[in-house]
Formats: sequence, C-alpha cells, structure tokens
Amino acid sequence: MTMLLEVRNLHVDLGEFSLRGTDLAISEGDYCCLIGDSGAGKSVLLETMVGSFRPHKGKVLLHGRDVTDWPPERRNLGIVYQDFMLFPHLNVFDNIAFGLRRQKSFRTALKSEVHSIAARVGIEHLLHRDIKTLSGGEQQRAALARALITRPQVLLLDEAFSALDVASRERMRRLLRELVKELHVTVLHVTHDMEDVWALADQVAVLHDGQILQTGSPEHIFSCPHPEFVAEFLGARNVLQGSVLDCDASGLTHISVEQTRLYSADPASVDHRVQLSVRPEELAVAQKQLPITLRNQIPVRIQGLERRGPLVWITGKAAGFSLEAAVTVSGAREQKLKVGDEAVFAFSASSLRIIASERRYRVPSDCPATLTTPPVAAAERFACD
Amino acid sequence: MGNRIFRAGLAGITVLFVGMLVWAMLSLIFMPRWSEVVDSTLSEEMLYSIRLSLTTSAVSVVVVMILAVSIGYVLARFRFPGHQLLRTVVDLPMAFPELVLGLCLLLLFGHDPLAGWLKKAGIDIVFSKTGIAIAQIFTAAPYATRVVYAAFRSINPRYEMVARSLGCGQWAAFLRVTLPMAKGGLFAGAVIAFARCMGCFGTVLILAGGTRMFTETLPITLYLNISYGNLAMAMTSGILLILISLAAIVTFEALNHEVVL
Repeated sequence: MTMLLEVRNLHVDLGEFSLRGTDLAISEGDYCCLIGDSGAGKSVLLETMVGSFRPHKGKVLLHGRDVTDWPPERRNLGIVYQDFMLFPHLNVFDNIAFGLRRQKSFRTALKSEVHSIAARVGIEHLLHRDIKTLSGGEQQRAALARALITRPQVLLLDEAFSALDVASRERMRRLLRELVKELHVTVLHVTHDMEDVWALADQVAVLHDGQILQTGSPEHIFSCPHPEFVAEFLGARNVLQGSVLDCDASGLTHISVEQTRLYSADPASVDHRVQLSVRPEELAVAQKQLPITLRNQIPVRIQGLERRGPLVWITGKAAGFSLEAAVTVSGAREQKLKVGDEAVFAFSASSLRIIASERRYRVPSDCPATLTTPPVAAAERFACD
Repeated sequence: MGNRIFRAGLAGITVLFVGMLVWAMLSLIFMPRWSEVVDSTLSEEMLYSIRLSLTTSAVSVVVVMILAVSIGYVLARFRFPGHQLLRTVVDLPMAFPELVLGLCLLLLFGHDPLAGWLKKAGIDIVFSKTGIAIAQIFTAAPYATRVVYAAFRSINPRYEMVARSLGCGQWAAFLRVTLPMAKGGLFAGAVIAFARCMGCFGTVLILAGGTRMFTETLPITLYLNISYGNLAMAMTSGILLILISLAAIVTFEALNHEVVL
C-alpha cells in the first residue's frame, strides 16, 4: 500500500538533535501522534519532512514519490508551531490569506475563502485585528486557519497546543477533531500531552534518540508498551525483572520475581529472563486477600501515600521490590490505609505485561511492534517468539 | 557603607565623563557668534560641502544597505566553514583607524590590476568624487551590516519556513516575511550608515583627497579651515556634524530598541 507521507532510514545530524535511521509512514486520513522525550528529534523529524533540513541519508516520500530534494514550497505540507509563528507585520486576515495569495486559482475567491475558514475556526470577528492583540487560543486558531486554507496534503503540528491553558487546549482538541473529519486532513502531531494522544490519535509513534521505537494504535501502545523506554515514558512505573518458571495449560506464564510467584497472560519461554510491567491504576489495594479472580496478590507494607489530583498514589514494599498503586481518593479513604500498615496489592494476569529490553529479552507474539515500515534493527531486536 | 561608596564611585565616574562630553559639545555650539555661524553656513564653500556630503552619503547609503542586507542575511542564516572568519573580516574596518582603511583602499584602487581595469572602464576613483562614495561605503558598511545582521538574527527562521510551507520560494519568503519583520533594524542600519558616511574623514582624505571645492565634504571643510585658521567655518562644519550625529543617534535609538547588537 502506498503511504501518503513516509520517511525511510532518515539520518539528520544537527549536533544536539539528530535522526538516526528514522522510519515512519502515515496513511491518508490518519491522525498520527508522535511522542518522545525531549531531545528525541521530534521537531527535527517534522522539519525534515517539511523541507527545513536536508537529510544526509534516507528519503522523504509523498504518495510514494521521492521529495527529499524538493524545496518546502513544492511539498504542500502545512506546519503549525507551538509559538504560532504568525507574521507580526500582518493582521489576522492577511496572515490567513498569506498562502492563497501565491495561488492564482484562489485569488478571486480569496476573501470568501478566508472568511469561510476563519468562521470555521471561530475567529471571523477578529479578521481585522492586529495579531498582537489576540489571546494564545485565538492566535493558535489563526495559525491553524492559515495552515489549512491551502489544503495541505499533511498537516504537521509541532506541540501546537502546549502554549495554551488547559481550557483552551481542550477547545482546540475538539475543534481539531471536527476539522480533521470535515476536511479529511492527514495529521502528524508532535505532542508531550497524552491527552492529545487519547483524544485525537488513530496511530501513535514513539521516537527516542532519533529512532522510532514503536508504532501502533493508542490502545496498543499503552497496553503493550514495547521496550523499556516506551514503558517508562508512558508511565508504566512498576517495571520488574523476573525469570519464567512455567507456562501452564490455561495459558498463564508463571514468573518468579524476587521469590514471589506472579502470573502473566502474555506467553514467554521457560527459563527466559523477562521484564514486566503493570500500570499503577490496574492495581487494587485491600487490607486482606481479595477474590481469586485477581491472580496476583502481593502482600506489601505501605511506605507512602500521596494525593495527586483525584488519585492517591500508594507505594507498597513487597519482598525485594516495590510497587505503586493509584486508587481514587474515596477508595483510599474506605480502606483506611496508613503508612506502615500491611496490605495486599492485587492485579489480574492480563494486567501484568511482559515487556522487552534491548538484547536480553524477547517479546511475546501477541505484542509485536506494529511498525508500519519496521526498521531492520528494530525488527530483529524485537523478533517475536 | 561599602555599597554606598561603590554606588557613589560609579555614579561619580559617569557624571564626570558625561559632564565633560556635554561641556565639550556645548563649547563648540556656544563658542562662535551666531551671526558668524549663519554667514559661514551660507558661504559658497559650506553650501558646496553640505551638498557634496549629502549627495555622496545618500548614494553610499543605498549601496551600503544592499551590502548590509546581503552580508547580514548570509551571516544570520547560512552555516558554512569560515562563518566566524567572515564575521571577523566584515567587522575589522570598525577597529581600523580610518586613515589605515583609506590607505588600504588607495592601494587597492590605485594599483593594478584593479586600477587598470577601472581606467579602461573610464572610472576614476582615486582623488575623485566617486572615491568619496567608495571611502564612505567601506567605512559605513561594517556598522550597518552589524545592525542588520542583529535584526535578521532576532527573527526566528521558522517564520520563513512557515512562509515556504505556504508556497513561497526562498526569495518571496525573504521579501514578504523577513524584510518587513526586520524593517526597524534596516532603518536603524541606514541611519547609522548615513551618519558614518557624513562624518567619514580619514578614509575620504586618503582615497579622494582633501581638495577645496572638489572633494570637500563637511569633515574635510573642518580640517581645511582649521588648517587655514578660519575658526568660524571650522566650528560651523563641526556644529553641522554634531547636529547630524545627534539626529542620527536619536532616530537610531527610536528604531533600534528591539534589536540587540
């Protein structure tokens, strides 16, 4: 299948930031969120796609056509930056109309086109205004309108909402979701905010140190975070090391973690060392043993209770390892837990995921890296059992 | 107590220096009789000198700004081996005494091969009015380039990238986005270049010569008349130069408050 936008084995070296064999493909109509730690090369990837930087190796393809040497103006990729980059010497109307003035076919309909897109993003009443007088949210809408008016093949968003307050961010997400549906726009959105991922993304790609580590649907990435970095980056705090003891007839894998026997629904080979992860919100906390449906029940001593927003984070010390559980405030209150108390952390076998580290571990077959175009190194590294 | 002495010491040095400077300038302005200043200003020599200074400076500023925009943009946007060396070479004439710069230009334009080529093309630079403009351009260009470079540097290159993603070529993005955004810096560069051109003395003296009523710009008028002992004419040209510099620096500060040099 021909992808709309694709980068293959992209190498860019800007000193502090670099891409090292980056592969990524986006299908037409996809909303792909690109996540990764600071300095991973997310913005460099976007700017290489748009034509800011010339890779010293690798290709950028649009509809399967090599556009690596094309100048930015031929690629028809829209870009919206975190700090809006509205032209300060132009008012809102002229900012939005900027791209259309270059297109002869639109010159006659320029005014109506600008009013139409401005109305769609809710800033028609601001068209005569100087951009310095707009709020952050209004500026972001203007920047979005300016990028969309030329009907780009792909809209690239570089942390486009991160300069906005929480309420504006939520409004922008809603607006963008509607616009993407209406205008059938393909989007690649660099973000740090997992709420963007959950609200908008069909696909997620994780970039670390200039390489795509994993791609897949948000559900897949969050439930099956692949290498150790992805697990930690996505907040899989409880990362444990263990050895596989047995795989029973019911499909459960028995794993020894510091002499405690745990059960995972992910398959693995006996005697392999594995790395495990369970998300804090999937742990139930009780003062005594819970029903057998939760196969993993670990006696712990409470070491810390910390309220963070609507949740209470409970740290429990088991035999040789610690776990963190996130429970609701009312749940924690009902249990009447205090630091120093004994309790039980319980979770199902399907919540305990087997994840991989770079060389020593292998990954279960139901949890493959669903790379659209798997880089050779990654494919070998995470070969499934 | 220590803090007070520290503050008082610094303030004292500042007041002393600025006071002397203002006193020196006021002495020039208030020393001559005003009737003498008016007569000198309206004299044929002074009018010639003012006209020549304004004409050559206007032409030079246009050339200087073309150079400053080109070199400033190259330095601000392009990365290449020898970037720092180029910056240093462009800045170098600012550290030169003007007489040395004039001597360098005299050797460049007065000797082959350049002198021969220019002669064939019918262009006289040494000891000519064209030489005044050339001297002014080489003197003022580094100052204007520095200001324009700072203006371009202060503009995020992503503005151009957005413009290009919207269909502009590099030239169109430069014209439609970067130049308008840098206009404060460009005006400031032009003002400082004009002031440098008007006040250019040593370079003009060596390259174009100080011939009365021929290559006589305002600083040359001051120099020639002080040599002849005609103090009124000398002081009048001094006053005119101070007024031009004052106007330039006020305009520069007003336009350039956002450009960090």
